[in-house]
Amino acid sequence: MSGGEHKVMLELQDVCLSFHSGRQSYDHGVHRVLDEVSLRIYEGETVGIIGRNGVGKTTMLRLMAGILAPNSGRVLVAEGKTASLLTLGLGFKPDLSGRDNALLAAMLQGSSRRQAEAFLPEIKEFSELGDSFELPVKNYSAGMRSRLAFTTALMTHVDILLIDEVLSVGDAYFRGKAQAAMQERITSEQTVVFVSHMADQVKAMCDRCVWLDQGRVAMEGPSEEVVTAYQERIQGARVRGVMEQRERLARQAEEQD
Amino acid sequence: MSFAQYYRLADVMARMALRADATKFYLGYIWWVLEPMLYVAVLYLVFAVILGTRQPDFLFFLMTGKLAYNWFSKSVTLASNSIVAGKGLVGKINVSKTLFPLAAVQEGMYKQLAVFTLLAVVLFLGGFKVTVTWIYIIPVVLVNYVMILACAYLGATLVCLVRDFQPVISLTMIFLLFTSGVFWDVRGLGDPDKVEAVLMANPLAFMLDAYRQVLMYSTPPDMLHLLSLAAGFGALLCLMVLLMRRHSQFLALRALTA
Repeated sequence: MSGGEHKVMLELQDVCLSFHSGRQSYDHGVHRVLDEVSLRIYEGETVGIIGRNGVGKTTMLRLMAGILAPNSGRVLVAEGKTASLLTLGLGFKPDLSGRDNALLAAMLQGSSRRQAEAFLPEIKEFSELGDSFELPVKNYSAGMRSRLAFTTALMTHVDILLIDEVLSVGDAYFRGKAQAAMQERITSEQTVVFVSHMADQVKAMCDRCVWLDQGRVAMEGPSEEVVTAYQERIQGARVRGVMEQRERLARQAEEQD
Repeated sequence: MSFAQYYRLADVMARMALRADATKFYLGYIWWVLEPMLYVAVLYLVFAVILGTRQPDFLFFLMTGKLAYNWFSKSVTLASNSIVAGKGLVGKINVSKTLFPLAAVQEGMYKQLAVFTLLAVVLFLGGFKVTVTWIYIIPVVLVNYVMILACAYLGATLVCLVRDFQPVISLTMIFLLFTSGVFWDVRGLGDPDKVEAVLMANPLAFMLDAYRQVLMYSTPPDMLHLLSLAAGFGALLCLMVLLMRRHSQFLALRALTA
C-alpha cells in the first residue's frame, strides 16, 4: 500500500535511540538500539516488522506507542489518533481472580472503571472460563491463563494497534477462535503494526513488511518479497554457520592427528 | 486519560495490590494492624521494660509516634521502588510515571486508615478525652499525606535514575526513626531553642509532635508551621509532578535499561 490516497497515521523520521548500559562494555557503554530509522504507517494497513532477536523491534513499537522517546529524529502520530501496545496479561497478579485481573488490565489499557466493568461479561464469555473466572489466576492452567490474557488484550480499542506477541494461545480450538478474532480486527479498518520473528505469520497477516537488522531498516516492501529475502538471509547464515563449524571440527581433527 | 480516570486507576491498582497481599497470608487483612502493633510492642519492651523510660503514658506516646512514623516510612520506601518494580508495566503502557508511586501511597493510606482508627480507640480506652480539638487531626493528616506523596515522587524518581538511592532511602528512614522523636520526646530536650530547632529542622519530628499534641494533650498544633509545611511540600509535589510528566519517557528508558 503506498501513500497516495491513504492518510499517514504514524511516521518515524530518522529515529535514533541509544542508551548507556551502565557498564563500560563497548562503545563507551553506549548501546545503540535504533539508528536513523524512517518509516510510514498508513491508515487501515497491517505492517509487519521482522528481524532477529535483539535488533530493536520491540523498541520500535515502544517508540510508536510513546512509551519511549527517540534521542534524535521524530515520531509523529496523526492528530487525535492513539497508538498502543496490545499486551497479553497486562499487570496480571496471580493471587487475584480472573475477574479482578481482567478489570485491572482493561483499566491499564485506558478504559474507565465503568467501561472496564462493562467488558467483564464479554471477557468471561469469550475466554470460556466459566466459574473459574472468579478463582485466583494462580490456580489456572497455562492455557486458561493465556485465554484470559488474550481476551482482555482484545478489549484494547485504539486507532493504531501495536502487537508484540505471538498469537498462538490456548488449545487448538481456542487458538483458531483467537486467530479468527485477530484476523477480523486486522482486516477491518484497524491500523496494525505487527512484530514477529515468525516469518510465515507475517506473510499471512501483513500487507507490507519492514525487515529490521541491527537497528536499521534492511528492506521494506510487500510482505511476500521482504519475508522471502529475510528467510534466504537466515537460511544463508545457517548454512554458513554449519560450514564454519565443519571446517573448525576438521581443523581440530587434523591438529590432533 | 483524564485526572479522575488516572486517580481511579491508581486507586484500583492499590486496592488490587492490597487484596493480592491479603490472600497470601493466613491472617490476611489483620496484618494491617498487627504488624505496626508488633513494632510498637518491640520498642515498648526495649524502652519501657529494659531501659525503664520515665516518659509519662509511654505506651500511648510511643504508639502515636510510631504509627504515624510508620505511615511515612513504609509509604515512601514502597513508593520509591515502585517505578523500577513496575518496569513490566512501564515497558507496555504510555502513562505518567507518577501513577506507580501514587498507587503505592494509596496502598499505604488504606492501611493507615485502619491503623489510625485503632489508635483512636486505644487512646479513648486509655482514658484520653475525645475533645473538639481532635478536629485538628484532619489538617495534620492532610499535610502528612502531601508530605508523603511529595517524598514518594522524589524517591521514585531518584531510584529510577540511579538505583543506588534505594539503600540510601532505607538508611534515611532509620536516621529519621532515631531523630524524629518516635520513642523520645522532642519537648523533653529542655532548652526551648533546641526544641524549636529540632521541630524546624525536621518536618517529620514536627508532624509526630503535632499528632501527640492533638490526640494526647488536646492542644492545637502550631498552624503557621503546619501551613508552611503544606506550602513547602505542596510546591515540591507540584514540581515533581511536572518533572515526572515532562520526562516520563526518559524515566521509562531508565527503568527498562539501567
